[in-house]
Amino acid sequence: MTKEAEYAIKVEKLTKRYGDLLAVNDISFNVRKGEVFALLGPNGAGKTTTVEIIETFRRPTSGIVRLLGMDVTKEKRDIVSRIGVLPQGFSSFDRITVRETMQFYSRLFCCRNTDIDGLIDLVNLKDKAKEQYMRLSGGLKQRLGIAIALVNDPEVVFLDEPTTGLDPRARREVWKVLLGLKQKGKTVFLTTHYMEEAELLADTVAIIFKGKIIAMDSPMQLIESNADYLILTLQSVDEKAFDVFEKMGFEPVLDNHKNLNVRVERTDDIRKILNGMKDAGVPFLSMQVRKPSLEQVFLKLTGEMLHEGAFRRKGAE
Amino acid sequence: MNLRVVGASLVVSIKSFYRNKTTMFFTTTFPILLILVFGTIFMDQDKLKFNLCVQDLDQTETSAEIPKALALSGKFTIIRVDPAVDAAQYAKDNKVNLVLVIPKGYESAYTQYLQFDNLNAFVTITYVYDPSSSSVTTKMQILNMIFAKMNQGLSAKPPFVRTAEVSIHTKKYRFIEFFIPGIIAMAVMTASLFGTVNVNTELRQKGIVRKLSTTPITRTDWLLSNIFYQFLLAVISTTAMLLVSYAVFDVKLQINAWLPLFIVLDVFTFVGIGMILTRIVKEAQSAADAANAIIFPMMFLSGSFFPIEMMPNFLQTFAKTLPLYYINEGLRASMVFQDNVTALSYSAIIGAFATVVFVLGITATRWEESK
Repeated sequence: MTKEAEYAIKVEKLTKRYGDLLAVNDISFNVRKGEVFALLGPNGAGKTTTVEIIETFRRPTSGIVRLLGMDVTKEKRDIVSRIGVLPQGFSSFDRITVRETMQFYSRLFCCRNTDIDGLIDLVNLKDKAKEQYMRLSGGLKQRLGIAIALVNDPEVVFLDEPTTGLDPRARREVWKVLLGLKQKGKTVFLTTHYMEEAELLADTVAIIFKGKIIAMDSPMQLIESNADYLILTLQSVDEKAFDVFEKMGFEPVLDNHKNLNVRVERTDDIRKILNGMKDAGVPFLSMQVRKPSLEQVFLKLTGEMLHEGAFRRKGAE
Repeated sequence: MNLRVVGASLVVSIKSFYRNKTTMFFTTTFPILLILVFGTIFMDQDKLKFNLCVQDLDQTETSAEIPKALALSGKFTIIRVDPAVDAAQYAKDNKVNLVLVIPKGYESAYTQYLQFDNLNAFVTITYVYDPSSSSVTTKMQILNMIFAKMNQGLSAKPPFVRTAEVSIHTKKYRFIEFFIPGIIAMAVMTASLFGTVNVNTELRQKGIVRKLSTTPITRTDWLLSNIFYQFLLAVISTTAMLLVSYAVFDVKLQINAWLPLFIVLDVFTFVGIGMILTRIVKEAQSAADAANAIIFPMMFLSGSFFPIEMMPNFLQTFAKTLPLYYINEGLRASMVFQDNVTALSYSAIIGAFATVVFVLGITATRWEESK
C-alpha cells in the first residue's frame, strides 16, 4: 500500500480565519485508515472548525484537506456519500420515531440494503425503536445520532463531541458503542475535550490548543514522552499530611474526591514519603502509584487545566 | 432532483404534521372557523333587522301609524318608549343608540297639510342618537329613505326620477361567495409562509440542517419537498373549507382548473418568501415576527376580508402591489365571476412574482457555511 492510499485524511497547513480571529492556525496531520483519531482540546481550541472543514461544511482560508483522496473544497458530492457524521449538538425531528429516522436517513443516501435493525441493535436502541425522538434521553439521542452516522456504511465516521452534556452513565454507554465501532475497524475521527474518552478510544491523539496542534501521538506515547514522573495518591488523609509533604519538599494537591495527590520523580521518593507519614503519625486508608494521565500531559504542554477542578492545588480549595 | 430523497423528506414532514395537533388545528380547523364565523355574520345581510325605540309624544291614531309603517318596512322591530320619560336619558340608561321621537301636534299638523292643503304645515321627527355607535348611521339612512317615500306618497304625485338595478354579473352573489376565495388564499398564504419559516428556522437552530448538509440531499430537493408538503396541506385545508361552505352556507362557486393553479402559485410565492426570511432572520422568534409583519398587512389590505374599494385611494394603490391581492382577485374571477381573462392575467402576474421569489428562495437557502 502506498503512503497516500494508507491515509483516510490528509491535512496540510490548514488555516481558518473568522475576521480577526484565527480559529485554526496552520495545522497538518494525517489519519490512517482503520484508526481512531482523537482531536483533543478545550472549548474554542479549533476542534469543531477543523472537523467541519474536513466534512465539507466549512471552507478553509488556506491549506489542503484531502478526504479519501478527494479535495474537500471541490468534491463535496462524492465525499458526503462516503462519510458518516455525528455533528456537535446532534438533533433530529421531534415527532419521528427512532426506526423512521433511520429509514429517512437511509433513503437520503439511497441505500436499499441498510441493516436498520442491525444498526439499532448496535447502539442498543432495540427497545426504543418505536419511540419518538423527543421522548429519548440525551444519551439515547446521541446513540441514535451515531447509528444515523452509520446508515450509509461510511468509510470514515466523524463524531464531534459525542458525549458532551451527557451524565457519566450515558457517556459510558456511548463509549461502549464507540468501542464496538473500533472493533469493526472503522476509521473514526473523534473530537473531544474529555481526556478519558481520548485515552480509552483513540489510537492517535492530537492535542489542539488555540488553533495549533501542540502534540500528536498514541495516548501511551504522549504520556511516556511528556510525563516522566509518577503520581502518588493517598486516600482519606489527615489535614496534617499537607505539612508533612511540604516539609519534605513536595507539592501536594487535593482532587475532587478528597484524595491527596503528589508528583514523585523517583521511586525512592515514595519510600521517603511513607516514612515521613509514619514518623508524623498521619493515617491514610489506601495508596496508589500510577503513571500520569493525558490530563497531566495537557497541563504540562499548555500550563492550563482542561477541566475545572480536575487537579486542584491546596490553596485553591 | 432525486425523487426518492424528495419523497423521504415529504414523508417525514407529513408524519410530523399529523403528530402535531396544534399545527393540524391551525392548518385545517382555523380557516373553517373563520368561514363559519364570518359566514354566519354576513349570511342574512339582506334580511338584516334592527331594534328601533319610538317615543310617540302625540299619542293619536295618526301618529300611531308611523311605528306601524316602520314595522311594515321589515327593517325594524319597534320598541315603544313611555312618552313621560326623557328620550336622551332613556337612551343612556338603556344603552340604546337611537330613539325616534314623534312630536306632540303631529296629528293636527298632518290634518292641516293634507285636508286644508296648508303647505306650510310640517312636523319634525327627531332622532335622539349616540354618534359613537357604528350601526346608528345605517339605521338613520334607512329611516330617511322610509320618510322620503312617505313624503312623496303624501304629495300624491308619482316619482319623477326612478332607479333600476342591472347587475354586471349573470347571477346575484352573496357576500359569503366573495369571502371564501379570499379566505382560501389567506389560509394557504399563512400555512405556507409560517410553515416554511417555522420549520426551517427550527431545523436550523436545532442543528438538523447541519446534519442534512452531511447527506446527499440538495437544497433543491429540500425546497421541492417543502413545496409538495405545503401544497398537500393547502389541498387538505381548501377541501375542508369548501366542504364546510357548501354544507353550511350552500354556496354556489365554480370549481375548475384555476383553483389548483392559484393554490400552487400561492404556495410557491409564500414558500419562496419564507425561504428568504429564513435566511435573513436567524432566530425562530424573530422569524415568526417577520412572517407576521408580512402576513398581517397582506391579510387586511389585499382584499381577503372586504373589497379594497372600501379603502382610501392610496391604500388601494398599495393593495395592488401585494401578491395576495392577485391571488384573491384571480380566485374570485375564476370561482365567482367565471371571468377567465382576468384569471389568466392575474395568474400571469402572480406566476412571474412566484418565479422570482422562488428562485431567490433557492439562492438564499444554504446547506454549508459560506464563511
